[in-house]
Amino acid sequence: MRPFTGVRNTENLVLFAVALAVATGLAGGAFARGDRRVPEQTVTNRPIQAPGGSYISSNACRACHPSQYASWHASYHRTMTQVATPESVATSFDGVTVDVVAGEPIRLEQRGRELWAEFADPDRASPGSDPGLTPRRIARRIVMTTGSHNQQIYWYATGNSRVLGQLPAIWLTGERTWIPRRAAIMSPPGAHLSETAAWNGVCVACHATNGQPRLEAPFGSRPATTLAADTRAAEFGIACEACHGPGEAHARANRNPLRRYALHFQIGARDDTIVQPERLDPLRASQVCGQCHSFWEFADAQAERQANTHGLPYRPGDDLAATRFIAQPTKNLETPIMRAFLAADPGFVRDIFWSDGMIRATGREYNALIDSPCFKNATDPSRTMTCFSCHAMHKAGDDPRPVTAWADDQLSPRATDGSACAPCHRMADDHSHHRSGAPGASCENCHMPYTTYGLLKTIRSHQISSPSVQATLDTGRPDACSLCHLDKTLAWTAGALEAWYGTPRPALSDDEETVAASVLWLLKGDAGQRAIVAQAMGWRAAQQASGSAWLTPYLALTERDQYDAVRLIAARARKTLPPFRRDELPRGSAQLLLTPAGTFDAARVNRLVRERNNRRLVYRE
Amino acid sequence: MSSDYARRHLRVGWWALLVFATLGLVLESLQGFKVAAYLDVSNETRRLMWRLAHAHGTLLGAVNILFALTLKASAPATMPGLARISGTLVAATILLPIGFFVGGVVFYGGDPGVGVLLVPVGAVLLLLALFRIARGTRNEE
Repeated sequence: MRPFTGVRNTENLVLFAVALAVATGLAGGAFARGDRRVPEQTVTNRPIQAPGGSYISSNACRACHPSQYASWHASYHRTMTQVATPESVATSFDGVTVDVVAGEPIRLEQRGRELWAEFADPDRASPGSDPGLTPRRIARRIVMTTGSHNQQIYWYATGNSRVLGQLPAIWLTGERTWIPRRAAIMSPPGAHLSETAAWNGVCVACHATNGQPRLEAPFGSRPATTLAADTRAAEFGIACEACHGPGEAHARANRNPLRRYALHFQIGARDDTIVQPERLDPLRASQVCGQCHSFWEFADAQAERQANTHGLPYRPGDDLAATRFIAQPTKNLETPIMRAFLAADPGFVRDIFWSDGMIRATGREYNALIDSPCFKNATDPSRTMTCFSCHAMHKAGDDPRPVTAWADDQLSPRATDGSACAPCHRMADDHSHHRSGAPGASCENCHMPYTTYGLLKTIRSHQISSPSVQATLDTGRPDACSLCHLDKTLAWTAGALEAWYGTPRPALSDDEETVAASVLWLLKGDAGQRAIVAQAMGWRAAQQASGSAWLTPYLALTERDQYDAVRLIAARARKTLPPFRRDELPRGSAQLLLTPAGTFDAARVNRLVRERNNRRLVYRE
Repeated sequence: MSSDYARRHLRVGWWALLVFATLGLVLESLQGFKVAAYLDVSNETRRLMWRLAHAHGTLLGAVNILFALTLKASAPATMPGLARISGTLVAATILLPIGFFVGGVVFYGGDPGVGVLLVPVGAVLLLLALFRIARGTRNEE
């Protein structure tokens, strides 16, 4: 065999140096690629993502927290705001014509990777705009989206700096259909809707992480079409740093592996470079969620301008109330600032709270929590209800559900197996007076009924309460019993509550004594009450408790409601019912206003409709 | 003498290949049967560590075989410090993949378990062995 031929010393060194250079080059290239994560500085026609000011974006969190990153990535928080691409939009834009806005078709087109729409200019008819400046129909590039869970809203580049306009139609993800944008909002019919610059001025605060509107004048202070903006955010969507605070110091400190392993083995102090919301006291912990899930306003114009330039000053762990005004009628209705808001907008409280101060609009759950007895009456922090009593922002390792099921409402396993209340409440087996396992035996169906409305559906009230006919009479808020026992009167409910819990029976009107409560609300309630009842009529538990045959005529009637949102909910509820058969109607049911012939008691129905509460209702969803 | 070492590294190399190729088969099975302890996103660090154990183990097995063939090809010339080179290479062959594997058994988020400390030790030994082998070839001219 031929002897091995070696190389000289210098050649050895050269070879080693070359190998080292190649390895360094590869590592450097990989690092440079990884660091080029926000190639947005060149984008000029929409808001951009620009980490900075101690925000480093979720990309930096991923390496050390893969599990948390993954569950966040699967959440609807992440996709609350996205750059519009063929992948991020929930439906096709490829040669689609959307005909939901009467006489104003929207033509969608995909040009390579770009999404375009041709539509009637929403700003043409807006107050202050000059009709001569813009053509009736415009073609604009769709650049951003909002939402992906219930609905998706599309934003187009207006051509004016980074100001966005809103496409006049939105996509409902559940129904897989387009609807007019204005139909998705609980607002009086006929109201004009232009939401130009709304993302820049309003949405950016909560639909992005550390958003900075950078509008040249406060949103709403002058016509949106005349506003310029240099809007940016640390990251689109509600990302890690929205809840944990800016991560730059944390990432820098934990580049040291010795520090990390000391933390893993709990040697020394806790890591104070980042906020863990669940470790905060109950109020501060809930305020992390409350920074977005509350009804708040800037305390004054200076605060608005400050946030406009630098983003909202609140950071997780801070006292939320120190930097903004949380509107809570039970606490601050008589304050000068609330009076000022009410003077500017009489619906400021009325359209978002029930008359007893309970929040009635979705997305303001913090307001509900802090007025709940489980929060405000608690004396032991470890037994105080917080958002985390029921919700888990990261899917737990022992949660057997698929991540999509968890992401639907980000509930923790204890909230889905009925044990969330158990740590504090040990009730007798017959407390609910419902069969064990029945919907009426669950804590949340009685104490968190579906009386909060938003995004074309009702959600559970997040203010813990007990069924009370008196509260229903005082506020108009449907009670838990009547939302399941749709065929029963308030008198029936009052009787049951009196017999079971000794609740005093209030005085009732003739209608309340004789007509099913749901029917009364559906016929004579305000738009919010009608929406709540229509949604309940599509609830399987209520259909089983109340019978379903009689619901179809009422839902059909409600599908002619003057509010688009109520009509949409009624139509959705009707689809959950079996085909209508007149012979299955409960004939002669006076409390359902049905005659022995199986028809409506037209006189009473018409009278109740005439008595309808037609006040204009504009939910602040 | 040199042939004794060649046989030793052939043995170590083929056994390492068998063990760590088998580990590869096990990992493929975990993947195939979608075993959560391996595939769940919360176990990403374990997945990475065990894949690295598999890759390093098989590669080092091949390196041992190559080293044995090198020794055979260069016979009857002998490499200075062959005993030390051999020991260093064998130690690296054990420490590197085992370090990765143990680092993936217990881990902390994105950080592997302390077993991963064997990896840098093994890596230094490997580089040392490679350097000595590369340098040793010069003396065989």
